[in-house]
Amino acid sequence: MTNTGMFFRMLFSAVFRRRSRAVMAVIASMVGAATLFCLAMICIAVPQQMNQEMRAYGANLIVTPTGDSGSDAESDTSASGDSGSSADGSSAAKSTGIDAAMVKHTTEMVAAKGSQKHATYRYENVRVNAAPYVMAGVDAAQVRNLNHHWVVDGSWPTAGKVLVGRDVADAMGLKVGGSITIGYRASDNASGQKTSSTGSSVSSSQSAESPESDAASQSSQSSQQMRDGRVNSDIMDTTGTEFRVAGIVDTGGSEDSIIYAANADVDKLTGVKRGVDVIEYSSGASDLNALVASINDMTSMHVKAQQVTKITASDTRIITMLQTLFWIVSLVVLVLTLVGVGTTISSIVSQRRNEIGLRKALGASSAAIGVEFYVESAMYGLIGGLVGTAIGYGLASWLCVAVFERAIAFNWALGVASVALAALVAVVASIPPVHRATRIDPAIVLREE
Amino acid sequence: MLLELDHISKIYGDLHAVDDLNLTVPAGQWLAIVGSSGSGKTTLMNMIGCMDSPSKGSVKLEGRKLEDLNASQLADVRKNMIGLVFQKFYLVPHLTAVENVMVAQYYHSVVDEGQAMKALERVGLKERAHHLPSQLSGGEQQRVCIARALINEPKLILADEPTGNLDERNEKIVLDLFRQLHEQGTTIIVVTHDALVASCAQREIMLNHGVLVGEKWNDDAAREAYEAQGGKPASTGAQVEGAQTGETAIGFADPTKAAKTGGED
Repeated sequence: MTNTGMFFRMLFSAVFRRRSRAVMAVIASMVGAATLFCLAMICIAVPQQMNQEMRAYGANLIVTPTGDSGSDAESDTSASGDSGSSADGSSAAKSTGIDAAMVKHTTEMVAAKGSQKHATYRYENVRVNAAPYVMAGVDAAQVRNLNHHWVVDGSWPTAGKVLVGRDVADAMGLKVGGSITIGYRASDNASGQKTSSTGSSVSSSQSAESPESDAASQSSQSSQQMRDGRVNSDIMDTTGTEFRVAGIVDTGGSEDSIIYAANADVDKLTGVKRGVDVIEYSSGASDLNALVASINDMTSMHVKAQQVTKITASDTRIITMLQTLFWIVSLVVLVLTLVGVGTTISSIVSQRRNEIGLRKALGASSAAIGVEFYVESAMYGLIGGLVGTAIGYGLASWLCVAVFERAIAFNWALGVASVALAALVAVVASIPPVHRATRIDPAIVLREE
Repeated sequence: MLLELDHISKIYGDLHAVDDLNLTVPAGQWLAIVGSSGSGKTTLMNMIGCMDSPSKGSVKLEGRKLEDLNASQLADVRKNMIGLVFQKFYLVPHLTAVENVMVAQYYHSVVDEGQAMKALERVGLKERAHHLPSQLSGGEQQRVCIARALINEPKLILADEPTGNLDERNEKIVLDLFRQLHEQGTTIIVVTHDALVASCAQREIMLNHGVLVGEKWNDDAAREAYEAQGGKPASTGAQVEGAQTGETAIGFADPTKAAKTGGED
């Protein structure tokens, strides 16, 4: 047997033949490693989960037509950051909206930066009982997938059936299963007449004007149209197409003032097929600013991308707060682990004072004894770290399933770091007691008469 | 001379644990140090064994002054020249008998399990080589301790009450082992209360409160050989009544009894 072999034989004997002592040190390391690993796993899982949760509250990115493709493109009024106002442009380009190919292309750009969900909206001004309202042509599945926070009483719009906002339903006394007659006047949607009402349809998190004021403005404008040199008031015109009320949507936001119908129904009602006015995205891109810039840089696309700052800022703020909290707790756990392991190792070392004295009497140097104890401490940390990391993963998995309803995969890099940290903490914690031990006077072994 | 103590004293405050002792020990001699508890025997052993340094005076081992050596060099002297046998054995509890012997090899030079097994065989413990100390009797533990002390073939074996915790049968086994080592030329210094153990030594010195108070020889041939080498009786510079201050040894009768009564009887 070589001296190295003897070194490890002594080490393993100390660890495995003195199990009761070793178990205490291992448990101390294990508890620390389990807690730290669990916290770290959750620290990683929480932002992902928060991102997903926050994204369920609607879009964090919207894309609207710029309107500069037309010959008489008006200035884009969306500088306020309100996506809806981008639809204020009265240009022909805007009226044609974003066509399907551009929707596909934009979506590919967004998807390239991370996971995405999207929904498109085509807005039209319509009349219900002569009163002006905004109707949105949507793909119900897309909208439903994007806006998990929408509370829908009844069902989503399908062919011949519409989803009306809570405010609309209350104003007209509509119930699920009831009918609604919707009229379309091309003049309401003529150039210069198209109002900012579409803005209100975008996520409630935005600072769009209230739909009520939009509607009032729209009403005022529409009533001032001229026909044959006279002011033509069609305010009492109640003709239109009858739809069934499939459901009533209640979001607490501007969506409550809109009537949602399937795209095909809107095409049919208006008699015009055109592109969409807004694409809303819930993007998982890590850097939304960069994504926005990359879309806006592509001027040939004739679209303008904007962040929904409320959503992204809240998301970031909550995640930062949670991560800070976790790191503080982790730091406290780390300190407690150091104290726990240090106390245990200190106790082990003090119980072995005679052995240390004997080893010195046999000719061991302080350095040799120090190395033996440090490696032994690292061994306790390693075993505790391995077991603790496994327990920590189990705990983190259980927590994620119980709280977030999602499974988390084992993070190998974090696992290795956890075990290494446990070993390092055990060694660091053992420095003071081992340093004291190496200064033991070997004469103490013989001092007892 | 293998060991030379020149006016060594160990002083703790007002207490003189060892007081101005002169002693020379030639290679191959078996010396017993007797005295009552607190007489300074163990302090003297610690100084001889490089585990403590004298407050005054000089210790020479094979002509090297120990006070000139640093901690690392003293550790080297300990592992190369000295074998230690303790009353309480001090075996590492989580190592087997053979591993305890190998520990001494580990700190000395190179571990050789075969050699360690031979050392255990020499003390009659080959069959118990893989037992932990807790599985061994006191006598067996002491024999492991002796095997550990002799594994590196030291020039000097220092034994502190080696039979203090043993029954008669095991005491005899241990003394036989010391006899064998002595016959092979190993220098042995034993601290003991036991008359039988002390009488096995060639030479005995007696301490009382750190002061040398007597010396006797149990082997005349050894005495003559010692004197032929120029060896002188141990002495002390302490001016205390009953101290052996001159070049004439003061005899004493029964070490055990004297140790217990302080030499009054």
